[in-house]
Amino acid sequence: MNALPPSRLLFPAPLFALALLACNPTFAAQTDSAPDDPAGNDVPVQSRKPPGPKLDEPKISSIPALPPNQFPEKHVTVELCDPGTGTKNLWPPTSPVPMESFQIPAFGLFELPHLYTDTGVRADRPNPLLVRAYARISIPAGRHRFLLRGRGASCLFLDGTPILTTPFPPPGSDNRPVTAQNDFLDLGPDFRFVPPGNRESWVELDCTGGQHEFILETLIGRREGKDGALARRPELGETVAAISLEGSFGWSLIAPENRQIPYTDSGWATYRAQLESDLERLNTAHRARAREESASYWKRRREQARVWLHETPEEPVPNAPGATEIDRFLAAKLASARAQRSSTASVDFHARIQPLLDAKCRDCHQGGKAKGGLRIDRRDSVLKGGKSGDPAIVPGNPNASALLARITSTDPDEKMPPKGDGFTEAETALIRTWIQEGAPWPEFPDVPLEPTPQTTDLQFLRKVFIDTVGVPPSLEEIAVFQNDPAPDKRARLIDRLLADPRAADAWMGYWQDVLAENPNILNPTLNNTGPFRWWIHESLVDRKPADLMVTELLRMKGSERFGGPAGFGVASQNDVPMAAKGTVVAAAFLGVEMKCARCHDAPAHASKQEHLFQLAALLANKPLTVPKTSSVPMDRLHTGSRKPLIEVTLQPGATVPPAWPFAEFVPESVGNALAQDPADQRDRLAALVTAPQNQRFAQVLVNRVWARLMGRGIVEPVSDWEKGVPTHPELLRWLARELVRNEYRLDAVRRLILNSQAYQRQALPSLKTPNPLYSAPAPRRMEAEQVVDSLFAASRKPFKTEEASLDIDSIRTLDQSISLGQPRRAWMLTSTSNERDRPSLALPRIQAVADVLSAFGWRGSRQDPVSVRESAANPLQPAILANGIMGTWLTTLSDDHGVTQLALRNLPLPDLVDAVYLQILTRQPTPEEKAAAVALLTPGFDARICPEKPAPRPTEPRRPTYYVSWSNHLDPDATVVRQKEEKAARRGDPPTERLDAEWRLRMEDLVWSLLNAPEFVFLP
Amino acid sequence: MAMNRRAFLQSAGLLLSPFASTRALAALSAPRTIGKAEHCIFIWLGGGMSQIDTFDPKALGDNKSVSKKPGSFYRAIDTSVRGVQLCEHLEQTARWMEHVTICRTVQHKVIDEHAFATNLVHTGRMVSGNVTYPSIGSLVAHERGAADPAVPAYMLIGYPNVSRGPGFLGAKDGFIYLVDTETGPAGFTRPDAVSEERIARRARLLAPLQAPLTNAPGTADYANAQQEALRLSGPEFMRHFRLDEEPAHVRQSYGGEFGQRCLTARRLVQAGVRFVEVSHNLNFLNGSGWDIHNEGIRNQHLLIRELDLAFSGLIADLKRTGFLEKTLVVIGTEFGRPADFDGKGGRGHQGSVFSMVLAGGGLRHRGAYGVTDELSKKALESPVSIPDFHATILAALGVDPRKDLMDGSRPVPITDQGTPIAALF
Repeated sequence: MNALPPSRLLFPAPLFALALLACNPTFAAQTDSAPDDPAGNDVPVQSRKPPGPKLDEPKISSIPALPPNQFPEKHVTVELCDPGTGTKNLWPPTSPVPMESFQIPAFGLFELPHLYTDTGVRADRPNPLLVRAYARISIPAGRHRFLLRGRGASCLFLDGTPILTTPFPPPGSDNRPVTAQNDFLDLGPDFRFVPPGNRESWVELDCTGGQHEFILETLIGRREGKDGALARRPELGETVAAISLEGSFGWSLIAPENRQIPYTDSGWATYRAQLESDLERLNTAHRARAREESASYWKRRREQARVWLHETPEEPVPNAPGATEIDRFLAAKLASARAQRSSTASVDFHARIQPLLDAKCRDCHQGGKAKGGLRIDRRDSVLKGGKSGDPAIVPGNPNASALLARITSTDPDEKMPPKGDGFTEAETALIRTWIQEGAPWPEFPDVPLEPTPQTTDLQFLRKVFIDTVGVPPSLEEIAVFQNDPAPDKRARLIDRLLADPRAADAWMGYWQDVLAENPNILNPTLNNTGPFRWWIHESLVDRKPADLMVTELLRMKGSERFGGPAGFGVASQNDVPMAAKGTVVAAAFLGVEMKCARCHDAPAHASKQEHLFQLAALLANKPLTVPKTSSVPMDRLHTGSRKPLIEVTLQPGATVPPAWPFAEFVPESVGNALAQDPADQRDRLAALVTAPQNQRFAQVLVNRVWARLMGRGIVEPVSDWEKGVPTHPELLRWLARELVRNEYRLDAVRRLILNSQAYQRQALPSLKTPNPLYSAPAPRRMEAEQVVDSLFAASRKPFKTEEASLDIDSIRTLDQSISLGQPRRAWMLTSTSNERDRPSLALPRIQAVADVLSAFGWRGSRQDPVSVRESAANPLQPAILANGIMGTWLTTLSDDHGVTQLALRNLPLPDLVDAVYLQILTRQPTPEEKAAAVALLTPGFDARICPEKPAPRPTEPRRPTYYVSWSNHLDPDATVVRQKEEKAARRGDPPTERLDAEWRLRMEDLVWSLLNAPEFVFLP
Repeated sequence: MAMNRRAFLQSAGLLLSPFASTRALAALSAPRTIGKAEHCIFIWLGGGMSQIDTFDPKALGDNKSVSKKPGSFYRAIDTSVRGVQLCEHLEQTARWMEHVTICRTVQHKVIDEHAFATNLVHTGRMVSGNVTYPSIGSLVAHERGAADPAVPAYMLIGYPNVSRGPGFLGAKDGFIYLVDTETGPAGFTRPDAVSEERIARRARLLAPLQAPLTNAPGTADYANAQQEALRLSGPEFMRHFRLDEEPAHVRQSYGGEFGQRCLTARRLVQAGVRFVEVSHNLNFLNGSGWDIHNEGIRNQHLLIRELDLAFSGLIADLKRTGFLEKTLVVIGTEFGRPADFDGKGGRGHQGSVFSMVLAGGGLRHRGAYGVTDELSKKALESPVSIPDFHATILAALGVDPRKDLMDGSRPVPITDQGTPIAALF
């Protein structure tokens, strides 16, 4: 900072106490509005207003009329009301009637329980919202200090009289001086400084002892500005009423029953954590209640599914050996593959020919719309040939094979492939040899048929933990499992893990990708959606049946900007948002790829543009007109004599009514019979997608789960079934029926898979690609979120980043900026959105984690849906782990690092080494590794622990940390503050002083090598 | 392991044919609009550079009077190309205009939001819910690879974002980034606190953990990529970021931090990096950087002078080192600004016409291309669309601007029907 003036210490503050009547305050209130100036001037408040007898702002025109018997004495009651004031910065003239109420332990608010609508999706409340908290509280007689804080305008009443107020929030800004933060309130040695974006005031009053009635009211959300009404996020910030009793320097939250809740940094953190988990319980209960209200419809749906199961034939489980049904299906297929395997050809079809055909021909020559009527993905079709009538391949006779002629042709109208890179000479020669040898075409590639052994307990633990809860097991979790003598301990562990709350985290990234969840913390313009991640998460936490979850998604109800499925319905800067959503829905739940059909008929898919617009019209609940921008002009299509690859049969300007384009999956009439409200097109669509008769839906879902856990789908690609043939069609049908039988609970399918021997087999290191016979899994690399979460879990280092927001003091409107909260798992991050390249808008800690995530295939910005991420290796992945900022955090033994804690335990060195290996890699070290680690750590081991030193005396006076937000980011000082934050992030937390520095560095290097071991990122 | 033969971000399993780049060249049928540039330095002026105060000067305006006369904020000066003027704060650049072409008639319609326009100018496309389009840097990286496989194809000095990303092309065509010249590239710069001795100890401890995975096909790609990563974080690659290897007078000729970024870009190009994006928006010079609303205009001249020094220094240095003819230097920005002044004397956004600049790269330069009206509000002749501008960059680098790329199974034209500016070839 160039020249920030020294902080102005206000403690011990001159307490401008007036002689006041006992609890009949005539006001010595001090509105400390800095750094925000309520007048809207850019001039920071230089001096405090002298205490005066009146309150300038806000003008309190109503005192809530609460009968004395309504004041609770054991808790604080919170009521939420529609103030009915519209957009004016006004308190309501009469006390509004509450719509909802709940209870909290003290006058400390930071978040409200969510409002849920419909079947339990987050909804918006009126904005602005009046929040009223009240209780009867006993305080001793004396001259006490009172403090009020809030993000919205707020007022604290004592026995019916307002004693403190805070003003309406300031207008928007982007260049408020950072030095305004030099003016702050400090009322004690451990006084908690006001967090960004809150106003505060305090007063000293003479109070009689005994019971007093406290009411805190605050108006949050919308504010009136010069340009009219601005809808702000209805946030509480830190809305608090606190008291400092006479003779005390300390502050506590005002709380009933003499509850002691220190209002200090640590006291607040504890209080907040407790209340957060209470709120979560409350939210869960509210959602359950909402679902209960719609139970009759879903009960009927369950009954209809049972009837369907009863009326349709069961899929018989083969009579083959295997521990579970899945294993028996797989064993049957394995036996048939074994019988087929016998070939003397020199060219391996699966290894050398098929990849070539896949790369150059397959996109057009497969599926329902194969070009020229030729499917290159089936031997019978290739031998027969396409429309031309000539066989594409004549086994043993390359010169008679049309395929060879076309790929070697130089005629631009003949040559194949028509676009892109053609075949090289070497590739052509290979195909020639293969045809010469009779074009052998076995069903399965040359994968090992001999199953690998079952995983050891430790291997199983690591694999199943990462697959179910996204992180490896802790030492305690390992011990519990290892000490469990029960023969079915794996099955029981699977049950525990599927019920673990972390199991919801583990599937977040997957659904965010598949559904293209794409919120932006700044100005949503890049095909952004609302943050419906919160709806996905709550759905997974609630273990919602998949048909209900998909129905909620397609209904798009609830909050758009604060986490309801309505956020899915948004596609900013998109000419037909519902067409974009149609491509998402079709691929996600029906395995139909319609991206091409967005602007023209798909060249390689059966879908026509009209089909997508019919689907889009269902989603839009009205007919849709095709805009010019969603079409390809005809003159672009004809650039040569060749027939254009794409066609446009739906003209711009055409209007397409809602219709179900997938009669092949289920007839449209089923929707009318099953929908809760058949007049609602979205409801009808939801019923058609999720109907038990629509077997495609259940099959696509189980195939997705299967692919994620087994490394490969039974149908590939999982989002585009037109291009794939199931390897195990019977198993697929059986699994889909199990999903229906288990009321669409995906956990049930997960449980079946995780308990199979096929899942529990050891990975075969020699396998490069997933094995379609599942006899031996190929090594599977962790997904990006698993890498990051596992690294934090393995080092037991707390996940600490900035709040995912560029408007932490909440001065922007809710359509411009949102907060994605304080991330605790990788999926909660998002793009840092610094398209402006402003150093002051950097979020260095989030960026450090996002760098790791991005290297491993995560996308901070999800403009389009992705079902299978890129997983190829590149040097940036190991590099960012080895040298990146996040790596520094995890390999510095700070006080809160897990290995520091281990090293401080009284363990013999060999046991310590074992523990470090177990904690990081979930395995014991080999004898060589152990010997090397012991040798490394023996020097100085006995003297490694240093005595605890008293905390050093602070060299600088206490003051709040400077912060940067949108409100001040154009001030040059903001850049300086951010650069300091960037440096601090780069440095990470300081190393512990409890361990001898020289010994610690050696241990850090061991930890570094284990976290960077390639095996860390692969599942066993 | 022949790691040095491997293109930077391509692991063994993904090696493209080593002839990929020559094939791209051979496929071109229209030699007239194809260039021979080998590298590109893409300077990004985030915020929206005011063309009327820089590269397209007009009659002086007045932002102080009540009536606020529209026009340039600075005087115009003559340059080394007759008839082509610049604003007075581009004095150094004015001497080099025979190596420069200002495209004065670039235009698009997306002016409401910076990130949106930034995305458009980087990708050449409007956003779509169907595909994430690659940036120009990734397109060039994809088509040409690195000139030397020991270095990355695409580097960024600035903040990472989706507009600069590889989109559907995938991570191998993404950037390696650094946010400033002090900190070095993310992932390859070893933390300060780690001594040489510890680096050696770490490598010793890691080696036995790598060996078995390097030998197993299922994990070899990653294990080999790790070897490559360790090499890149060593001195061979990292020395390119050591500006103290440059003579003092060369460093000085570039000016401040932005200039040092340009110098870094020149060193990277020399090392074989194909495309370097350099961002210039150190917003503490004037508050809002190039986004000169309101008071932001007051110190705009400081930004322009910094650009002038760095840009002219870069051209001179490229010329001195023999790299100017094969290095296309581009100045890009998301939109321009109107001749009119806003309430506090600054300027809003304008997309109807604005300037982007091309220099070097073997093009037939002419000082300026395209003519705007008397207040630089619209194009009078030779309008240039964003796809045209993309096509010009690609063609200058020997890439066919009409070719198709594949997003999975979908062909996606490399530009949205862009046509290179023929006059420059």
